[in-house]
Amino acid sequence: MKKLTTLFAATALATLMAGSAWSKTFVYCSEGSPEGFDPGLYTAGTTFDAAAHTVYNRLLEFKKGTTETEPGLAESWTISDDGLEYTFKLRPGVKFQTTEFFTPTREFNSDDVVFSYERQLKADNPWNKYVTGASWEYAAGMGFPEVIKSVEKVDDLTVKFTLTRKEAPFLANIAMPFASILSKEYADKLQAEGKMNQMNQMPLGTGPFAFVAYQQDAVIRYKANPDYWGGKQKIDDLVFAITADASVRYQKLQAGECHLMPFPNSADVAAMKADPNLKVMEQAGLNVAYLAYNTTQAPFDKPEVRKALNKAINKQAIVDAVFQGAAQPATNPIPPTMWSYNDTLQDDTYDLDAAKKMLEEAGVKDLSMKVWAMPVSRPYMLNARRAAELMQADFAKIGVKVEIVSYEWAEYLDKSKAKDRDGAVILGWTGDNGDPDNFLDTLLGCNAVGGNNRAQWCNPEFDALVKKAKDTSDLAERTKLYEEAQVVFKREAPWATLDHSLSVVPMRKNVEGFVQSPLGDFAFDGVDIVE
Amino acid sequence: MSQAAATSAVSTDPSRRARLAEFWYYFSENRGAVIGLVFFLFLVLLAIFAPIIAPHDPTAQYRDAVLIPPVWQEGGRAEFLLGTDAVGRDMLSRLIYGTQFSLFVGVIVTTLSLVGGIFVGVIAGYFRGWVDTVIMRVMDIILAFPSLLLALVLVAVLGPGLTNAMIAIALVFQPHFVRLTRAAVMSEKNRDYVIAAKVAGAGHGRLMFKTILPNCMAPLIVQATLSFSSAILDAAALGFLGMGAQPPTPEWGTMLAEAREFIQSKWWVVTLPGVAILITVLAINLMGDGLRDALDPKLKRS
Repeated sequence: MKKLTTLFAATALATLMAGSAWSKTFVYCSEGSPEGFDPGLYTAGTTFDAAAHTVYNRLLEFKKGTTETEPGLAESWTISDDGLEYTFKLRPGVKFQTTEFFTPTREFNSDDVVFSYERQLKADNPWNKYVTGASWEYAAGMGFPEVIKSVEKVDDLTVKFTLTRKEAPFLANIAMPFASILSKEYADKLQAEGKMNQMNQMPLGTGPFAFVAYQQDAVIRYKANPDYWGGKQKIDDLVFAITADASVRYQKLQAGECHLMPFPNSADVAAMKADPNLKVMEQAGLNVAYLAYNTTQAPFDKPEVRKALNKAINKQAIVDAVFQGAAQPATNPIPPTMWSYNDTLQDDTYDLDAAKKMLEEAGVKDLSMKVWAMPVSRPYMLNARRAAELMQADFAKIGVKVEIVSYEWAEYLDKSKAKDRDGAVILGWTGDNGDPDNFLDTLLGCNAVGGNNRAQWCNPEFDALVKKAKDTSDLAERTKLYEEAQVVFKREAPWATLDHSLSVVPMRKNVEGFVQSPLGDFAFDGVDIVE
Repeated sequence: MSQAAATSAVSTDPSRRARLAEFWYYFSENRGAVIGLVFFLFLVLLAIFAPIIAPHDPTAQYRDAVLIPPVWQEGGRAEFLLGTDAVGRDMLSRLIYGTQFSLFVGVIVTTLSLVGGIFVGVIAGYFRGWVDTVIMRVMDIILAFPSLLLALVLVAVLGPGLTNAMIAIALVFQPHFVRLTRAAVMSEKNRDYVIAAKVAGAGHGRLMFKTILPNCMAPLIVQATLSFSSAILDAAALGFLGMGAQPPTPEWGTMLAEAREFIQSKWWVVTLPGVAILITVLAINLMGDGLRDALDPKLKRS
């Protein structure tokens, strides 16, 4: 009850502040409720937008609008010669947020860093299981429990990470939202009061906005953190108006009820561009959509058959019908904006006659196959069933019968991992940290077979190249290895690469300073409303 | 179809012609029912002659003609009278072929649940006792679920597809027929003519299906008509939820679901399948009303 009263008071305060003439309130029509407010626990972008980019900071941050890292809570760092020890010098004088529910007594120091990592790595940490079913999925996915041997406090403003093996993408990994830095002092207080759950409901960090209140499926309120180490924000209040339907979000934006919205219907984009009150930002997304054959299933175990089918897919038609042009056909498994993208490679041209001939030469007749189509819309593939229907029509012309199958989303992801899966599956990937390793090894490496490697494709030549690139810290060397890996990929064709989509962000004309993130994040520091 | 069944069921006496005339008199009293009947016959003709009437193959994709508006709007083309969908298929042809699927679903589902329901219902009403109790409790269990929810569960178990959707809907509709049949059989069972037949040495089978059943048909026919439209509606709903017909089948509910994103920009892709479902169901329901007027002895004013 007491908590409720505080919540009410906080909401009332926020409303009062929003009402005053000199305060600026920025409203973001977000696409869904966050899973919680502890970014370490979850994997959804919606959660990261609501928790990680508002309330928290990380040791390193991604430079706005790029996938390069820059100093965040760590001012500088040194890497030992063997590449196993990372020593971070922390930024001095960083204050945690002062809120209705917590007043910090000390500044940010290395205890907070050690705490934030250890709870994700060590099963005996009291915060490791503080939420029922906590799995620290992201840390596990990035291999942190094996890679990080220890996180030690050297002095108040120095932290040392010791790794078990060389890991080139490590600096990019710790800039990711799940590696946000929490307050140890706040955690200790909650633990002492026996209210550990509150960490996941009322977050407190060093970020540009402080959490005020949250009402599920309705609204999240923040206010600008006056003590933010990067300076106070130009807007005073930040509101997430949770609106699940894209058409409704568009209507709210039109009516001026929100200033910015994510994920518009591709069919609405043309009208948004024509609207004098709106402006639309577009950027090549860091993503790829693909059709993964099961390379262990006959006759798809033959590269010739896969290449023949690839030739029969009209990617431009998919881009037009599914994205209304807001995407580009994909050649390589990594997007063209990523370093090491091999632009010397040629895509398979759409040629039905050649495809038919190749199939005949491979001795395949009367082929019928299943194509799995995702039941949901993702940024990289807005309508998989429609894409599948286009493929179905084209494959029919070369004598391949296609049956389109679909399952409920969670089941789809799970079933498509099976090694003996029947058929090719449409899926995609959005990059987490801008490193090619995050695509090439995560999606096509041998150790991902039966998991993220939906093609069940284990090619020793490709795998060796990708693994070698992981152990190398020299960027030029890594670039060369990844370029070679893409040549192998294109030759063997475990996937039909379909598209890289544009991410489109419509906003009111008077919004300034919003920078689109290639990683698909929505962060509102630096945003302003001009009248 | 149901009309033909109706006439043969009612006219047990020699003056078949007179009965038919009487039926038509009461049926045509209801203006809406006649309109419904005419429209229904029109749909049947559309379904039968779809390959001749439809200007295009319903699954042919014209890649150069994606999302063309209907002919009367700016940018429309004469070859696509009602425009094209997101992958360039002719809307008119898809709607015409969609009639086939909708009527097919209606016929199959109604037949399945009618035949099954009559059989089980007659047995329950004729034998009573524990057989009746067991059957009726099972039916009560089925009735306890919202029909669409149960159909969804069944389809989730059987796997999505038009055939499985039809089986699921037929199962869900079963109890209505069982209950109606059982009630009618119970009220007829102790009539004099049944006892007379029994005395004359008729066996159980003959009593149930030859003697009693023909006198219970009127309410069943009305219920069958109403189920027909509900079946079309449920199949469209399952299609909309992605559990019914699978692409590229031009089923109305599926068409509607796949066009949802265009609701604000390309009205024809979303509206037309919806309108098709609406008027079909409306026509059949109107027809059902007329049938009830004509067949229900309580409503006769002679």
